[in-house]
Amino acid sequence: MPKIAIDSVEYEVPEGRTILQVLDDLGLLGNGVEVPHYCWHPKLSVDGSCRLCQVEIEGVPKLQIACNTPVANGMKVHTKSDRVIAARRGVMELLLINHPLDCPICDQAGECKLQDHAFDWGVPAARTTEPRRPAKKAVDLGPTIVFDQERCILCRRCVRFCREIPKTGELGVVNRGDESLLELFPGSELDNPYSMNVADICPVGALTTRDFRFKIRVWFTDDVESVCNQCSRGCNILASRSNNKVYRFLPRRNDAVNDTWICDHGRMSYKKNSTGRLTAPRADGREASYTDAVKRAGELVRAALDAKGKIVGVASPFASNADLAAFRDLLAALGAGPARFSVPRGESDAILIEAEKAPNAAGCRALGMVESNEQLGRADLALVLGHTLTAEVFGDVRNIVLIDTHESALSARATVALPARTFLEKSGAFTNSRGLVQSFSAVVEPTIEAWSESDALAQIAAAAGIA
Amino acid sequence: MKNYLSEHYGDDSFQTLAGYEAKGGFAGLRKALAQTPEQVVEIVKASGLRGRGGAGFATGLKWSFMPKTNERMKVIVVNGDESEPGSFKDRMIMERGPFEVLEGIIIGAWAMGAQRAYIYVRGEYTRAIRTLEAAVKELYGKKRLGKSTFGVKGFDLDIVVHSGAGAYICGEETGLLESLEGKKGQPRKKPPFPAQHGAFGLPTTVNNIETFAHVPFILDRGVEWFKSRGTEKSPGTTLFGVSGHVERPGLFELPLGTPLREVLGHAGGVRGGRRLKGVMPGGLSMPVLPPSELEVPMAEEFLSQRGTHLGTGGVMVMDESVCMVRVATVVSYFFRDESCGQCTQCREGTAWVHKLCQKIERGRASDADLALLSDVPKLMEGQTICAFADAAAWPIQGLLRHFRDDFEAHLREQKCPFPESFEL
Repeated sequence: MPKIAIDSVEYEVPEGRTILQVLDDLGLLGNGVEVPHYCWHPKLSVDGSCRLCQVEIEGVPKLQIACNTPVANGMKVHTKSDRVIAARRGVMELLLINHPLDCPICDQAGECKLQDHAFDWGVPAARTTEPRRPAKKAVDLGPTIVFDQERCILCRRCVRFCREIPKTGELGVVNRGDESLLELFPGSELDNPYSMNVADICPVGALTTRDFRFKIRVWFTDDVESVCNQCSRGCNILASRSNNKVYRFLPRRNDAVNDTWICDHGRMSYKKNSTGRLTAPRADGREASYTDAVKRAGELVRAALDAKGKIVGVASPFASNADLAAFRDLLAALGAGPARFSVPRGESDAILIEAEKAPNAAGCRALGMVESNEQLGRADLALVLGHTLTAEVFGDVRNIVLIDTHESALSARATVALPARTFLEKSGAFTNSRGLVQSFSAVVEPTIEAWSESDALAQIAAAAGIA
Repeated sequence: MKNYLSEHYGDDSFQTLAGYEAKGGFAGLRKALAQTPEQVVEIVKASGLRGRGGAGFATGLKWSFMPKTNERMKVIVVNGDESEPGSFKDRMIMERGPFEVLEGIIIGAWAMGAQRAYIYVRGEYTRAIRTLEAAVKELYGKKRLGKSTFGVKGFDLDIVVHSGAGAYICGEETGLLESLEGKKGQPRKKPPFPAQHGAFGLPTTVNNIETFAHVPFILDRGVEWFKSRGTEKSPGTTLFGVSGHVERPGLFELPLGTPLREVLGHAGGVRGGRRLKGVMPGGLSMPVLPPSELEVPMAEEFLSQRGTHLGTGGVMVMDESVCMVRVATVVSYFFRDESCGQCTQCREGTAWVHKLCQKIERGRASDADLALLSDVPKLMEGQTICAFADAAAWPIQGLLRHFRDDFEAHLREQKCPFPESFEL
């Protein structure tokens, strides 16, 4: 393996990587080594056009771009020499000729690389007095993305993303010189299942999502690590929250799962946390306090046990591993058979989207649960986590105790329905389609009385007098 | 000494296969085919032929970069884009000596093991395209191209004439390849270099039209003969295209190293007995020379010592009436307009420089603007994917270096002090 020196510190690095890739591999970027960049993105092809990542290499007369220079044994790279700093300043000055300094009204302020780098490397005062290039404001590129043309620095990340990831190629740069413009391919719009990633990778405020735009300043939010629950891929996400409210999901880099992307469907699923929720416990068709509803559920369990009736368990592939394990244990204590579960299915693609539209089918299987969509048949009691079966499946079941997050036909039919916390309201782990167990943390507190499934199950067990 | 490249350019029959052969055409090719490809590369190396497209790279060395294995098809791309203002010699060669070019290409293909050659011609050069197409057609008609080219079994070469669509940057080696592949003309970053990953991802060598045109003569008449013209480091002749304020603008085939004064002499000297103000020796992108440099030998090794370059040999002459700020304005307008817009420094820098030049020319500029005009080209130089930003920066730097008085006069008088200069 080649040995290279970066700012006089020696590293052993893999062959065939570029300087910037090596810095990324070693976790040094932004952690002791500053090589600012706009056009380079670890998951896209190299463009080499922003020219901000120039470094000095001993023995090479011209500065070289770190994004396209392969490492070689003995290479000595300098990232903070006077020449490098001067080149960075030059790039920043040139970029700011036409980019408006509208941070106070730009929605990207606070997470804008131009703002950051201008602060770090920019010139203190603009030397240009020429009028800025005229440009269009707030152009709709499609249903999800809004384009503020004057802020675009033509790094082409979005262009390469559309060509290389969804392979839809809606975007391109037209014209030449300083008249170069990001444009949609004639007659098309940016409307692919991954379109909103272009806003994440836009290093400035040119591309923003219609959904998040102007909702909140990012410095009022903080990001919590979580895992998307919309399919069995388990894309790693960040949930931005403020005042106990989730404002958006962002992709969180995990090279083994989702690189740095998430699909639009998953991204927008944060809204499900606050819509259609099962907000109040119900028992025997009437709203009840949580305590009363749990008590009634305990009675139903006790009665079924005493009558030696048939108890069936229905699990949800949306439940966490801990909740599923608690359910398995309770069912065993009740002498019921293994829980069954069903997985909603849909379209998949070769990028991220999986056919299994639930995050934890693998967890259900690992815990010995049985996949089935068949009728439950005659039973005295069904204990149900989640609602992935149709209500008709429960046709011959006398009583249903449902612990669930959202209203459904089944919640209306259940003898007892207990609100549960969504995955954003509790901590836990899902097992994704490749068997990877991924944990997530609570992002917000529930605004209603709701417990995790395992807590609710424990309360029911206690109410039923089961040790 | 007699010219060779343009010796028969007055003779229309020279553009036909029969006429070309009657003048001894294909003698160089026959000699090449009698040698191994490696020997041919060595001969071209030994001749010291430098590329005539502007950069002046050693041709034989470039040929030797082509992979020796035959795993993938190898491609020759011939650069006939010639969009540098002041340059028009390739057009003449393509129109008057198409078979010289084709013979050179076939020799190159033999030497490098190429199976396909694309001649990328500037789209506006309709006559050159027609002439080359007719010449290629004639060779195919006589079964001298395609399968068993010139009767050599296993040597299968196809030549395609490709018309460009009018962008200066498509004359840049890799911008040309992008354009040839049907994409927007903008340079590619290197690595990978064309010899590994060129046209359509295949190993590729890109040479200029004139470069190929010299090759048959080298093979036919020998290395020593070729080196007897020109300078030690820049052997051979070239077609100097003299334009601007001279009595007889035109193309003159002269040995490299001919003093600038003599080149101008062939063009009849400065028009109307006026005094010379400056000369751009190699097309619009090359820094201007003042009259004090008239004795400079026109070869890269001498011109580079004087802060300029031979470029394409397009000699642009300006007499005393010319406003050098106006020149800077025109030059910067051209580069602003033709920058592909890919690299930050070039995209933003060329436009900024042009705005500054305009401001100075109109007499609306301050000392700070002039200081900026000195600084901004430095931000652009040597930092971009291709040399376009350099090409945009150099002429401005040259004009400021030698004609700063013109710029200062504009600041002082708050108007252009050269009323007779050309219109903008």
